[in-house]
Amino acid sequence: MENTEKERIKQGYLTYVLDKNRPPASVFKLTKRLNIPEETFYRYYPNFEAVDRELWADFGRQAREKAALEPVWQEYGAREKLLAFYYTLLEILKQNRSYALMALRRSMPNVPGITPRVLDDFRSEFIMFIESLLRDGRRTEEIAPRRFVQDSYPRLFWTQALFVLTFLAKDESLNFERTDAAVEKAVTLSFDLVGRNSFDSALDLTRFLLHKRR
Amino acid sequence: MAESVENLPPSISLADESVPGRQLDSLPTTKVARAARFAKSGLKVGANYVKHYARRSVGATSSEADLHAANAAELYSTLSEMKGSVLKVAQMLALEKKFLPPAYADQFAQAQYQTPPISAPLIIKTFRDAFGKSPFELFAEFDVNARQAASIGQVHYALSRDDKRPLAVKVQYPGVADSIRSDIRLVKPIALRVMGLDEAQVRPYLEEVETRLLEETDYKLELRRGSEIAASCAQLPHLEFARYYPELSSARILTMDWLLGEHLKEFLRTEPSQEIRNQLGQALWDFYMYQLNTLLKVHADPHPGNFLLRADNGGTVGVLDFGCVKEIPADVHRLFNALLAPETLADEARLAALLDETGILRSTDTLERRALYVRTLHASLELVGRPFRETTFNFGDPAYMASLYALGDDLMQEPELRQQREPRGSEHFIYLNRTYVGLYALLTELGAHIRTQ
Repeated sequence: MENTEKERIKQGYLTYVLDKNRPPASVFKLTKRLNIPEETFYRYYPNFEAVDRELWADFGRQAREKAALEPVWQEYGAREKLLAFYYTLLEILKQNRSYALMALRRSMPNVPGITPRVLDDFRSEFIMFIESLLRDGRRTEEIAPRRFVQDSYPRLFWTQALFVLTFLAKDESLNFERTDAAVEKAVTLSFDLVGRNSFDSALDLTRFLLHKRR
Repeated sequence: MAESVENLPPSISLADESVPGRQLDSLPTTKVARAARFAKSGLKVGANYVKHYARRSVGATSSEADLHAANAAELYSTLSEMKGSVLKVAQMLALEKKFLPPAYADQFAQAQYQTPPISAPLIIKTFRDAFGKSPFELFAEFDVNARQAASIGQVHYALSRDDKRPLAVKVQYPGVADSIRSDIRLVKPIALRVMGLDEAQVRPYLEEVETRLLEETDYKLELRRGSEIAASCAQLPHLEFARYYPELSSARILTMDWLLGEHLKEFLRTEPSQEIRNQLGQALWDFYMYQLNTLLKVHADPHPGNFLLRADNGGTVGVLDFGCVKEIPADVHRLFNALLAPETLADEARLAALLDETGILRSTDTLERRALYVRTLHASLELVGRPFRETTFNFGDPAYMASLYALGDDLMQEPELRQQREPRGSEHFIYLNRTYVGLYALLTELGAHIRTQ
């Protein structure tokens, strides 16, 4: 009962935003439309921003769950898992195109790298997802272990997620094909950076030389 | 020789490594990114020339061939990273060998086989976009690792749901159709200059090419044309066409039967007998003559990557890829055949009249220029039309193809022709020429002796 009531409020809010192109003027307006007492709303949410945050967190959760249903998911490495997450997320956002684009365009800051409030909940779940991918990646040696540096990886991957969403908000190509290409490119770059590369060899050589001198 | 290999700049080995393709999933899509790529390659090629002349000035031996090889590797690695339409243009130029020194041509010929794959999740997403289902739901089996690169997509192996029939599933790279126009605009000034081609010389190509390239991104069109040509050519012997599956195809996915066989180079390595090679050549010749003269619609992309050869039944040719189909207007067909007719060669006035009609000669031309054109075209037509003047023709005669290429070189040397700024002749001839050059190149490689009438 509780769940369906909450779901109804969430959907009611979504429909309202889609209809009117803006959030309801007050909680009262929405609850009247839904034919429920105003206090029911407050039982679940403090304000509309919280609903927005939850809608986005839902998109992310659905994307992870749906991507993992793909039979090849188990065979994927960390790079493919992240790619699959993004493509599934884009698919879900496409189904909710009007809402997603409106929310992104309204809230994406002009300064890159700053997380809009609406993505707060989405972000914390994304970070957890990335951390588990990174753990797997280190086990499969897709990701080079680098003390200290690797602590900032989750933040870097979040910046990448913001880049993808910003790109989507501005993409005017048919069926967002350019966003697909951007995802492919950005994810490959990030895994090239965190994988074993010339940086590690340079570090290795430096260590060796220092060691020899002693 | 060993020394000169060592002397090659390191770029060569880098390019070789990049061929099997690991990280080229990075398709630089923005115009800026692509331009940057071109500029980089232009610089590298420039650097190779500097090295070449520096080495020569201190008396070291550095042959022209080394230089071409270094430049070609550089260009190839750049172009293959850019995929899509640029690669397509590279393939076209590879066919027009007369435009390119052999080293370039060899590197570009590689482009016909090897380009790096796009990721499995993107393949699955493409299917979801088109059908709302993953390939694993649509097929009994689907290999997410691409078996082959097609120039604007990649080919996957699958088994059909109902009867486990092997299928080839071609998936197009995302954004290809979107970026072709800007690619061509980039190719024109930079790549062609880097390759030493005159812009005016290729301008008529590029306009026709653009149309054909855009058509090639439409897999629905390819499906329709491929089915039509296959149906019309069904009675020709020793040919095999893949059946298309419209219910498993979309604008960016094309599903067809998986044909067996090997590409020309690999097939020749199995040392097939002369009889088999003759039969394969005959099948190709009959296929093209039927299209050119009866259907007036031709598979205009006869590069070796588009045919699968087998020794079964004395030699069978599998025809792939109907992305590039040229429809021939009736008057163009009449003119082209009239130009190839033996009577035309014997009668200079008749030849001149035909050249007037095609727009190769103009009323404003001086008498000398007219004479020059008539002379050069007489020489070209004598060579190209030679197979038509005999009842059988031996394409295995290496002297014949060599003289075809030599003719191209001679034409490039002619100062009067080089200075010619404006393109002449019908733009429809571009793909007809390409079809003939490609067909002749295939038949020569096969060394086939065939009945031409």
